[in-house]
Amino acid sequence: MVEPSAKQTHANGQALREAPPSLESSLRFVEVKRYGKLARYLFWTLTVSGAALLTAYLVPPVWLLELQYVAALALFAVATNLLVGYGGMVSFGQAAYYGLGAYTIALAWLHFKAPFWPCFLLTPLVGAAAAFAVGFIALRTRHLYFALLTLAFAQLFYTIAEQQYDITNGATGIFGIGIPATLMDPQKGFLFVFAVAALALLALWKITTSPFGLTLRAIRENRVRAETLGVNVFRHELLAFVIAGAFSALAGGLFIIHDQAAYPELLDWTKSGEPIFMLVLGGMNSFLGPVLGAFVYQISHELIVQHLKDWQLVLGLVVLLIVLFMPEGIVGLFNRTMWQRWLGKHAAKSPAAQKQPHAPAA
Amino acid sequence: MTTAGGLFIIAAGLTLVFGAMRIANIAHGSFYMYGAFLVSTLVSTFGSTAFWVSLVAAPLAVAALGFAMEVLVLRRVYDKDHLTQLLATYAMFLIFADLALRFWGAQSRAVAAPAILSGSIQVGGASFPVYNLFVVVVAALVGLGLWALLRFTLLGWRIVAAVEDPEMLAAKGTNVRMLYTVVFTLGAFLAGLGGAVIAPLQSIDTGLDASIIVAAFIVVVIGGLGSVAGAALGALIVGLFEALGILWTPAWAPAFIYLAMIVVLQVRPSGIFGVAETPW
Amino acid sequence: MLEVEEIHTYYGESHVLQGISLSVNEGEVVALLGRNGAGKTTTMRSLIGLTPPRRGRVKFFDKDITNLQTYQIARLGIAFVPSGRRVFNSLNVEQNLKLAAAAAHPLADRRWTMDSVFELFPKLAELRTRRAGFLSGGEQQMLKLGCALLANPKLLLLDEPSEGLSPAIVGQLGEWLRKLKHKGLSILLSEQNALFALRLAERGYVLEKGRVQYHAPADELLNSAQVRAYLGVKFVEAS
Ligand SMILES: Nc1ncnc2c1ncn2[C@@H]1O[C@H](COP(=O)(O)OP(=O)(O)OP(=O)(O)O)[C@@H](O)[C@H]1O
Ligand SMILES: [Mg+2]
Repeated sequence: MVEPSAKQTHANGQALREAPPSLESSLRFVEVKRYGKLARYLFWTLTVSGAALLTAYLVPPVWLLELQYVAALALFAVATNLLVGYGGMVSFGQAAYYGLGAYTIALAWLHFKAPFWPCFLLTPLVGAAAAFAVGFIALRTRHLYFALLTLAFAQLFYTIAEQQYDITNGATGIFGIGIPATLMDPQKGFLFVFAVAALALLALWKITTSPFGLTLRAIRENRVRAETLGVNVFRHELLAFVIAGAFSALAGGLFIIHDQAAYPELLDWTKSGEPIFMLVLGGMNSFLGPVLGAFVYQISHELIVQHLKDWQLVLGLVVLLIVLFMPEGIVGLFNRTMWQRWLGKHAAKSPAAQKQPHAPAA
Repeated sequence: MTTAGGLFIIAAGLTLVFGAMRIANIAHGSFYMYGAFLVSTLVSTFGSTAFWVSLVAAPLAVAALGFAMEVLVLRRVYDKDHLTQLLATYAMFLIFADLALRFWGAQSRAVAAPAILSGSIQVGGASFPVYNLFVVVVAALVGLGLWALLRFTLLGWRIVAAVEDPEMLAAKGTNVRMLYTVVFTLGAFLAGLGGAVIAPLQSIDTGLDASIIVAAFIVVVIGGLGSVAGAALGALIVGLFEALGILWTPAWAPAFIYLAMIVVLQVRPSGIFGVAETPW
Repeated sequence: MLEVEEIHTYYGESHVLQGISLSVNEGEVVALLGRNGAGKTTTMRSLIGLTPPRRGRVKFFDKDITNLQTYQIARLGIAFVPSGRRVFNSLNVEQNLKLAAAAAHPLADRRWTMDSVFELFPKLAELRTRRAGFLSGGEQQMLKLGCALLANPKLLLLDEPSEGLSPAIVGQLGEWLRKLKHKGLSILLSEQNALFALRLAERGYVLEKGRVQYHAPADELLNSAQVRAYLGVKFVEAS
């Protein structure tokens, strides 16, 4: 599923240095290669929706609400990973689009009592538009300057949200936002959020394996070579930035379903750090790594704050351990040759299991 | 000017560390906060005369913390990529934040300046708080000290050389790893000093680290990463923008420094005194 | 004094030096020749520890220095003079020199002092307070040499010193190097300008694709048609 398109983009003689990480390798325990394409889709659709339904009916409502949040964060993290992991662009301001998505619904409700659905559908567009404007300026710089420029823009949004009391309720935030009654129900709400997040992830998966996604990775691996091959690097990066902004905003919209509130902290720079922690936690070299990261991050957050107040301490130590000793995150554990050896099979090493630089090229 | 003075002290340390070591140290904000907290603890335990001692003791303690962080954590990430380095300092930032919460609690604290530094003086009809002048003087002394260090001492030249070309510096017999330890410790000292000096001017609480680090990065980026003179200029610009913002339209004032940074980087993509290529 | 045994050096995954062996005796000038990308610079970087070899050994006065840190190797008495304009641009001439002098081994005999360097390069004395970034190419070359000498090394690694210099200055450079040779300094000299190098050197190694292709006394290399053909245009032009 991955290979043909890889060849397609590089038909002009240059092969990618690294093969892309594949979804299959992330979920390698299930052998799906024998089925046809359609069967494979059917299989995954059934498995995923079955799992969702089971979850919705088995998990207590309190945790369902938590899982809503996890789904929103997972989408946020995967969207951010399109930039950080695939594009090698470390943006430290993704909370801007996430928060903007939430504020889009919140402000429309506050000022115009606007209905939920059109606003919800609008969130990705708002995110995309904002990301286009920011990316257009920020992508002229790179590396740390890029990280700090994206951060500056996010902080700009943050101060507006915090200071403009007349427009945004300032630091207090906006609470009790009206959403359709069906979505208030934990089970239905969960199913809806889950479905939206799953579809969005599917779209992102398609994007990362498309020629565009592969070119993006080629740029990360070797920018100069991509340029000499005639790739318009700026446009590719801008498009990636816009896509990430749109999906982050959608995630912010999902957050509204979970919380019915929008407040300035959604835009703060520390919020921008969260998806980065998640993707590092889960593993930025695989598509679903950030999802796993979001799950582990949020659930352990909930469990830890119930007993301890030192969540940041634990998080800091875990992140430190991961960057020092487990650069491929939790997903890396499944890919390690150690495990393969332990399981006694040296067989079929998928491309993604081979050693990959875990980092965006410097 | 006061804002600029305080910002300069902290930004100078950040820019040195970044320039010489190519590490963007998010935990620099924690060092600043610890400097302020330590002063508040010393003053509240030993009375306001302890202020003068704490002005030296607090930065020294913070420098020791910086030393430990360099030896225990940073040394393991020098040969890794930048995201890893950034995450390592971010992780330290989180750890320091919770430790501060443990030691000092969530309540905000205030430090009283010693008597000689309180009150205000009249200069040409306008009145200036004495303490604000004190901050400016300390900032000027720090600037002078750094200038002399970089200009006249072997250590200073080594730092300048490390900003430019660490490989060649090593080939000329300098133990660059050790130099990094020294620079990082010095940076932590400056952050601690910044926090200590600013302590009487603001309420000290556990959010200080996050707010100051963003401002400090902006100052450093505006001035050009690695340039102490740039940090001074950047601090002035940010201070000025903030002051103007408050005069003009208070509600929008905090947005001004971000705008300042965005504008400066449009005109000069590597900061005012930055070298053309971005080292990161 | 310097023995290099079968070193293999990589940049990331790319295998650049594929088993290079060479030696430099005391008081000897040895040329390292080869076309662009042959591995001359990489060889020098491997010797000084900037890109340590993954396999093989480097011995200096019978001491294994393969795994030492760059600064330790430098302090043992090997000075590396890189090609191009790699001086510390924002330091002035005097600061550059003093910084380099600080690298000298504490027990090294200080044959070279600030004064003797200024004697060899009077121009540098005039330019003392000029920022190195503002020097001309020739002046920077003097500064680089001066810095290397002040470290009082036993072995000088010179990477393409003639690169980018005008013919007149290349002539000057030849003079300086001859002087250093007569003072007994050992030099490993990498060059694309083979004629220039072989006139100074006793022996030469010709590298190709990270391997030693030929190794012979300088005059033999000069007269070998094969080597001429390999080293190509520049060599023919010069002779
Ligand atoms: N930093 C690097 N990363 C990857 N490959 C490198 C790097 N530096 C050099 N190389 C490769 O190593 C090989 C040898 O390069 P080296 O610089 O040693 O050649 P050289 O003989 O000094 O050439 P020149 O005469 O052009 O200076 C070349 O193929 C080059 O492309
Ligand atoms: Mg070379």
